[in-house]
Amino acid sequence: MSTISIESVTKRFPNGFEALKGINTEIAAGSFTVILGPSGAGKSTLLRLMNGLETPTGGSVSIAGETLGKANLRKVRVHVAMVFQQFNLVERLSVATNVLTGRLAQRSWFGSVFYLFRNEDMDITREALARVGLTDKAWSRADKLSGGQQQRVGIARALAQRPKVILADEPVASLDPVSSEEIMGLLREICDRDGITIVVNLHQVDLAKRFADRIIGMNSGRVVFDGASAELSPQALRTIYQREGIEHDNSLDLALAYA
Amino acid sequence: MKPTQAVPSATALPPKPRNLFPVWLATVLAVLWLIVRDLEISFETLAYGVADMGEYFSRYREPDFSNLSRYMELMGVTLATALWGTVFALVVAFFLAPLAARNFTPHPLAYRAAREALNFMRAMPDLLLALIFVAALGLGPLPGALALGVHTAGFLGKFFAESLERVDQGVYEGVAATGANFPQRVMYAGWPSILREALGYVLYILDRNVRMASVLGLVGAGGIGLALHDTLRLFDYGQSAALILVILATILIIDYASAWLRRRLG
Repeated sequence: MSTISIESVTKRFPNGFEALKGINTEIAAGSFTVILGPSGAGKSTLLRLMNGLETPTGGSVSIAGETLGKANLRKVRVHVAMVFQQFNLVERLSVATNVLTGRLAQRSWFGSVFYLFRNEDMDITREALARVGLTDKAWSRADKLSGGQQQRVGIARALAQRPKVILADEPVASLDPVSSEEIMGLLREICDRDGITIVVNLHQVDLAKRFADRIIGMNSGRVVFDGASAELSPQALRTIYQREGIEHDNSLDLALAYA
Repeated sequence: MKPTQAVPSATALPPKPRNLFPVWLATVLAVLWLIVRDLEISFETLAYGVADMGEYFSRYREPDFSNLSRYMELMGVTLATALWGTVFALVVAFFLAPLAARNFTPHPLAYRAAREALNFMRAMPDLLLALIFVAALGLGPLPGALALGVHTAGFLGKFFAESLERVDQGVYEGVAATGANFPQRVMYAGWPSILREALGYVLYILDRNVRMASVLGLVGAGGIGLALHDTLRLFDYGQSAALILVILATILIIDYASAWLRRRLG
């Protein structure tokens, strides 16, 4: 059974840049998928389409059988949480309040605009913070935390949504190697224990190989590789990271030699 | 193995983009000069006038504080007028600004309507509004507060809307991606992110309203301005000087208080 299905999706930005040139793929429920590809390949755009942060120019995106559109956007987003490279927390609010924003969509605006939440929401928040190991930081301001801790708050916010899917857009690109390991381990554990579908954009080939069930390789708006992480050969990596118009790419050779 | 890459040889840079700054500067200076000529502004008159001004100001040398308790009471009325005007502006701006911020607004039409409403309020001078409200509601501080409120709601709303538009796109998306609706986005991604700036604007508007409320007394909106108007008409320079000093002291105190408050909020 697939939770996410993407049908002949294209995306052209108003400035004329064609980010996606026809993507067809299905992502199975409870799987851990990593999208690899050079900067500008369209990884981010593809991920953002799945949460409705971008709308496709052509084709359609469905989450659990429901096609994303203007009318059901907020309803679908409840089930599709997002984790960002820059964490995107509200810096002035406390860690716990940031996690509680994950509950907003479940509640009417009336209580929530006064920052009033039900006990049930507080329980979910406590649980989510315990999962990411930040219970003692609950009432610190979000911007007082280190990068790795902020990303864990981002994941707790996603967990508080009780989602079917968590999308992570380069979640470790701003973190040191140890924090990166921690964050990827956390996402993997969430996938295994809660059966939440995880889709992650990455630049680190080694992390992708170690954590993913499936790897999708993209280059200039197209899928150029799709397979289990064990199938990711040096040849496949070469296709993913090749640059247009450069025949003998020294930098590519070196980068892949150490990957 | 070290990478062996040929160092690219130096070639000519692409042509430098044209910089039109000198042309603009010259145009502005030319227009300024034309204005001076057209309005026949004479700097000689200014030089002669300095001596006369000096003589006039010297009449204020001996402030007369014999009525100080009454002045304080009038200053209190003026402060209350300014405070209520600011509260009114704050409430109106609080609801209009999110609609007038391009990134938060739920609909382009709401954006246009809110922007135009703010522009309209800002375009009405508070002195004129005070005249209208005094005519409609009678003398006293209420028309003054209303006039200040309407006028500065336009300012505050514009300032708030522009701050909201500068909220980091990522923070907005972080909240929007959870499925939060318009009021929730405003309350979680919007106001907390601009709290510090917003407080600065409110304090500025309060400061401005205290100064303006002192003037509004001249058109019958009560407070210390009315007293100053009367003493000036009677050529009572001693009392006028005292009134002006009371106003100055109040504005200084407010300035220090707002600086302290801003530091506290960090």
